[in-house]
Amino acid sequence: MIESMHAVTLGHFLMTGAILFVLGLIGFVTRRNLIIMFLCTEMMFQGVAITLIAFSKFHMNMSGQTFVIFLLTVAAAESAMALGLVVLLFRRKRSLDSQVWAQMAG
Amino acid sequence: MTTLAPWISWFPALAAVLCGVCCFKPTLRNYAAPICVIGIFAAFISSLLVINGMDTHGTLHATAFEWIVVGDFVANFSYFIDPLTMIMLMVVTGIGTLVAIYAAGYMRGDRGYARFFFGVSLFVFAMLTLVLADNLVLLYLGWEGVGLCSYLLIGYYYDKPSAVAAAKKAFIVNRIGDLGFAAGIFFCYTTFGTVTMSGDGGIIEQARGMLESGYPVSTATLWIPFLLMLGAFGKSAQLPLYVWLPDAMEGPTPVSALIHAATMVTAGVYMIARMLPVFELSPYALPTVACVGGATAIFAATIALCQYDIKRIYAYSTVSQLGYMFIGVGALSTAGGVFHLFTHAFFKALLFLTAGSVMHALAGQLDLRKMSGLRHKMPVTCWLMFVGCLALAGFPFLAGFYSKDMILAAALQQGLDGHNTMFVVLAIVGLVTALLTAYYTFRLWFRVFMGPEQFEMGEDHHGDDGDTGHDDAHGHAGENVGGPHEMPWLMNGPLVVLALGALLAGVLGQHWIVDNVSHSTAAPHVAHGAHGADHGDGHHGSLLFGMDLHLAMQLISGCIALLGILIAWYFHLQNRAAADRWATRLSGVVTLLENKWYVDEIYDAVIVSPLRALARGFWWIDDKIINGVVMVIAAIPPLLGRAAQPWQRGQLQGYGLTMAAGIAILAFLIIVSVL
Amino acid sequence: MAYGLYIASFVGAIAMAMMLPRARRSGRGGGGGNGSAARFGMLLGAASLGGVWLWLSEQLLPAAESWGISRPAMVYYYIFSAIAIVAAVRVITHTKPVYSALWFVMVILASAGMFLLLDAEFMAAAMVIIYGGAILVTYVFVIMLASEPGEAGGPGSGGGIGIEIAPEYETVSREPIGACAAGFLLLAVLLSVAFSPIAPNPEAAGPTDAQLLTSVLTDRPAVRLSHITDDPRLAEVMSVNNIDNSERVGLDLFESHPLGLELAGVILLVSLVGAVIIARQQVPLNDPPTTSPTLPTSPEA
Repeated sequence: MIESMHAVTLGHFLMTGAILFVLGLIGFVTRRNLIIMFLCTEMMFQGVAITLIAFSKFHMNMSGQTFVIFLLTVAAAESAMALGLVVLLFRRKRSLDSQVWAQMAG
Repeated sequence: MTTLAPWISWFPALAAVLCGVCCFKPTLRNYAAPICVIGIFAAFISSLLVINGMDTHGTLHATAFEWIVVGDFVANFSYFIDPLTMIMLMVVTGIGTLVAIYAAGYMRGDRGYARFFFGVSLFVFAMLTLVLADNLVLLYLGWEGVGLCSYLLIGYYYDKPSAVAAAKKAFIVNRIGDLGFAAGIFFCYTTFGTVTMSGDGGIIEQARGMLESGYPVSTATLWIPFLLMLGAFGKSAQLPLYVWLPDAMEGPTPVSALIHAATMVTAGVYMIARMLPVFELSPYALPTVACVGGATAIFAATIALCQYDIKRIYAYSTVSQLGYMFIGVGALSTAGGVFHLFTHAFFKALLFLTAGSVMHALAGQLDLRKMSGLRHKMPVTCWLMFVGCLALAGFPFLAGFYSKDMILAAALQQGLDGHNTMFVVLAIVGLVTALLTAYYTFRLWFRVFMGPEQFEMGEDHHGDDGDTGHDDAHGHAGENVGGPHEMPWLMNGPLVVLALGALLAGVLGQHWIVDNVSHSTAAPHVAHGAHGADHGDGHHGSLLFGMDLHLAMQLISGCIALLGILIAWYFHLQNRAAADRWATRLSGVVTLLENKWYVDEIYDAVIVSPLRALARGFWWIDDKIINGVVMVIAAIPPLLGRAAQPWQRGQLQGYGLTMAAGIAILAFLIIVSVL
Repeated sequence: MAYGLYIASFVGAIAMAMMLPRARRSGRGGGGGNGSAARFGMLLGAASLGGVWLWLSEQLLPAAESWGISRPAMVYYYIFSAIAIVAAVRVITHTKPVYSALWFVMVILASAGMFLLLDAEFMAAAMVIIYGGAILVTYVFVIMLASEPGEAGGPGSGGGIGIEIAPEYETVSREPIGACAAGFLLLAVLLSVAFSPIAPNPEAAGPTDAQLLTSVLTDRPAVRLSHITDDPRLAEVMSVNNIDNSERVGLDLFESHPLGLELAGVILLVSLVGAVIIARQQVPLNDPPTTSPTLPTSPEA
């Protein structure tokens, strides 16, 4: 039998998840290496995963963990596609700098 | 076989669809003509079967399918066949078949061969819908359908600017009339509460009821006939809306014969005959119809006197003859009007088609002054046209003779019995017109076929002969170099049938027509005391020169026809120099007539130019003021966009940051408002 | 309470902004940020995080005890959380991609530890295997593939290994201040929600072990693994009433989300195909970099 936990305890785990999420966001926005950008999105996923599992424990419901499985699936798919695209982009411009790709500038 | 009734009009529709398919496949193109002929002929046969299966003087209602049902308002694809419809069915499908057969030869080798037959099939479908319609909305559908086909076929040579202009003119002038017609239908619905014409509770029944119970004069019933009349005048080319018909001769000749002489233009006459009780509700409606018809008859005949284009002469002649029909209908002799419609369909189709043969032989030459003495080159055509001319001129015992004098006698009867001077004047106008008709008809014939043989080939502007890509049965591409030639029997065969009709339709058809019409909705319902004679029921009214009016009229008009032919003979065969002398002596009149009384110019000055000026004014307002405002407003978003452009740096991360910041601020605002 | 979180977020934002790589730097690579400012930022960040924790622990520790989570377990929370956050900061501040990837493995491991605290053993294992094992290896491969020969000291060397000068795009981050402001504003909002009082939803609670055993898992052997152990204590732990985490995850996955499972499979297949097609496209390596990208040729080309 899984024990429930207190809201304050939940809050701590949520805080860790939120910090990871926000750090990933900041990394995505500031880092200019395409690979690191996508790594940062994985970190955002990680923050979300912690949040989901904490809620799963808090409500004693397995759906949170199940959703982390889906999250993992999507993350894996996304990283496969994203890395393929990164390789393609790198071949075009010989650079991983995201600033190089600015054709949509108004 | 009356179960076929709902399907009559759908045979040509099917043919139209198939011809449409043929348009897209060059290999199928030559099948279009047989398909079209078979389609129309199937309609003819099925009409015969249906009529055969019906009682004499019987009526038949048939519904093909439900079309518009909104509350009480019902307008289905429902058909109504009564004796009047039978006549029209015979004319439309019979003449249609003959003209289609002729056209199969005439149009051979033309680029738009399949397109032409598509138009013809569609036209016959629309015309049959018009004729068979049991309600005004369906009739209007057919009305507009024939207008559309007319537009398409006048503009058949769409690379010729004059043809395109003529097509537009026909369409627009018809719109003016149709506006009135549509308004008339609306008023019919509000007045009678239905658009169904026949049967219990139909418009005709109600109108008859009103007639029998005295005149319940209401504004609506006074005006409905005038609105409907406007539509009839537009479609049947009466003053003041006749101007489109002469220009409509830009279309191929079979089209002129079928649509602009035999069938479509008579739709107005048919509609008035069909709705006669409604017209009788207004005491001024039918006299107006008669007056307009009389004015048109003599007006168009005078123009025809001095024209040189063969087809235009016939076009004005058609306008003039339609005027006769309106006199007949207006004089309450619907039998006469419809009878003339019937005979006119034969001889005018014949005349147009023979004119087409001449034109075909001379590579598009239409100018009367540039041809003469063609009788040796084209003997069959010559004598076929001679028959047609005699019939049109009202030569005794031919088709036109009977129908024309029936109308004139009816008008005279109206005038004498009713002591109505107007109708007497109309009868005299009719007689003068008959003289003019005989003259200009034979002026044409003597000029073209008699006298010394000389001709100039045309420029073949219709492109049907110069097409070297086809191997024609009679090889006229080669023969044209050597001069005009007789038509093949594919084309002359239908003409012979038409000529027989022109010879005999009067003698044989009179009784049938009169009998049919008097048992249809077109039978007049004004008290018979004064107007019975035109029913041929033995009732005799006034006498003229001690004779029955009909007999007198026949004598007079026969003499007049002979006189007209003699004048034409003298001036245009015997002594052409005299004709030229008279032309110079009367040069003012001749110029006036050659220019068609300057009607087009007057319309242009009085209607078109002011409209154009008005339109230009509106255009200026639209372009400068309204458009200006719109442009100012339209300039604002680009300005805003240009202001925001620097923010659009095309960098994914910049967008990501903006998005994250937006979400953060939004979430912050929500939290602040909640906590 | 909320104001404390806001102040901490604000300080954390300043710290983060100082730690991010900046344009004005000396020749030394690998330090992340520029020297003293970065170090001061680290201190500041640690102070803000530590301050929050110190302040919160007063409430947490008694609460956790009263709710049956032991004090040592919460200590582990602080440890794993600190590791995860520090590693995350290093991921986004390190100028060498390989090190960033390795720090990310650290994040994974620390959060796997937290999953264990939350009784999610299956997810902890899956996270380590899939993220730490599979995805991260892919990243490292791509980092090696996509190295810039001109700047990275020769075509043979990896992007982050053994270089003297890191490329400019690694060492200069774009808009760090704006990003930190937005990010920490979001964090402040999230934290103020995270610590709002909330009660577990009893209706959302999954079935108890006894319920599962009587309804779904009726065929489950009463005693498992008893044939491989003679230790009565172990046999007792493994028997009857203890349905372990992976069993529960499996039940929930197949009972409540069968369609989602299928869709996840389809997504994986599609991404597999897509990645192959994308990566197959050949760009001539000798072409000079073009300013306007040409349209990609068809996959078959």
